[in-house]
Amino acid sequence: MSLKLDPRTKLYMIFVVSAVVMMSATTPFLWAVRIAMTMIPILLLIIEKHYAAAFRFLIFYGTALLLTFRFLSENSKGFLSAFLVGYCSIIVQFMPAMITAWYVVRTTKIGEFVCAMQKMHIPDGITISLAVVMRFFPTIKEEYTSIRDAMKMRGIMLGGGNAAGIIEYRMIPLLFSCVNIGDELSAAAVTRGLGGKVKRTSVQVLKMSAADYLLMLLFTAALAVFVVSKYII
Amino acid sequence: MNDKKLQAKDFITIGIFTALLFVVEFACGMLGFIHPYIVAAFVVLIPLVGSIPMMLFYTKIEKFGMLSIMSVLLAIIMFVIGMGYLGAPLIIASGVIADLIARSGGYKSFKKTIISYGVFCLWICANYFPVVITADSYRKNLIDGGYSVEYCDNLFRAINSKTIAVLLVLCFVFGCVGALIGKAVVKKHFEKAGIV
Repeated sequence: MSLKLDPRTKLYMIFVVSAVVMMSATTPFLWAVRIAMTMIPILLLIIEKHYAAAFRFLIFYGTALLLTFRFLSENSKGFLSAFLVGYCSIIVQFMPAMITAWYVVRTTKIGEFVCAMQKMHIPDGITISLAVVMRFFPTIKEEYTSIRDAMKMRGIMLGGGNAAGIIEYRMIPLLFSCVNIGDELSAAAVTRGLGGKVKRTSVQVLKMSAADYLLMLLFTAALAVFVVSKYII
Repeated sequence: MNDKKLQAKDFITIGIFTALLFVVEFACGMLGFIHPYIVAAFVVLIPLVGSIPMMLFYTKIEKFGMLSIMSVLLAIIMFVIGMGYLGAPLIIASGVIADLIARSGGYKSFKKTIISYGVFCLWICANYFPVVITADSYRKNLIDGGYSVEYCDNLFRAINSKTIAVLLVLCFVFGCVGALIGKAVVKKHFEKAGIV
């Protein structure tokens, strides 16, 4: 089964989750709302057959939650617990937003994304740049992996005894390849008519389906519940 | 064709360098969880490390708007990963001002580039804004939300309304220092290779 969500719904999801992440949960009920909201993108990942990622996020988030609640309290002291607290609470804090962002980036085709942005009347410059950013993270990761392999082959660990080298040896090749890829990308995009004067049309026809409305409603409700029970009651 | 307007190629360049800058920011950000003082040290780390891609980016800027758009993208990304919207105006403001400064030097003057990058680096401080502006409620939120008192105390000792001025200045200074280093690195590697 495959569920095709409109990119606008996904963007709305990001918006709501980010807003909720900013307001920290203070009561068990708020935690419950928040955890429920985190489960939705994980479920969506499972539906989209990204099992490994969903599983990884689930384990990661679950462990962090467990550690935060079970072992760490306001009185935890010392370096190790400060370290743990730092990691766990930040994971718990930001994980929902990251899972959602990851889900959106992974499951949205660039064409769909651009089309949705256009329908929302976002300026072209921002749309194109943002689309490139989205497309580029996996590329950076790939390039970085090859650089690391190359360094291993030469037997250079970290910086090869040179502190600044830690950054230099990785950053410079990465920049080289990114600049080249960028040139290729713009050549390819321009040949396909990017930046032309004619209004862009899209092969993808975006339509809001029942699932879209349902999810939007769900997230709006969650946001409302969260805000009301945090600030009003 | 109008030379003043940004072309598709420029937008792609912006996208690539924004992604790179974000990766740098994110890698440094991971360190911040270890100790809150490292969070404060971002003002030193990020301008220095980020200077290398940014100086390469500066060599590609010829028109007004590229830095501004970059700052808008950064604001969007910061919002998406949950850093909040309070800093967004500062991020965009520093981007536009940096853009204006660089334009006054015609995007070629190296002195203007240094200052411009220093101003641009102020966007890092935007991430501290929620800590400073809403200090009391933010602290309570953090503690209720599971952070230890110790972490919070350290965080607020390092970042508060008094130190934010120092942090801003540090950010600017290290931005300028970073610009010099970045320029040297770009010269060493990229000009030799003929990429710039």
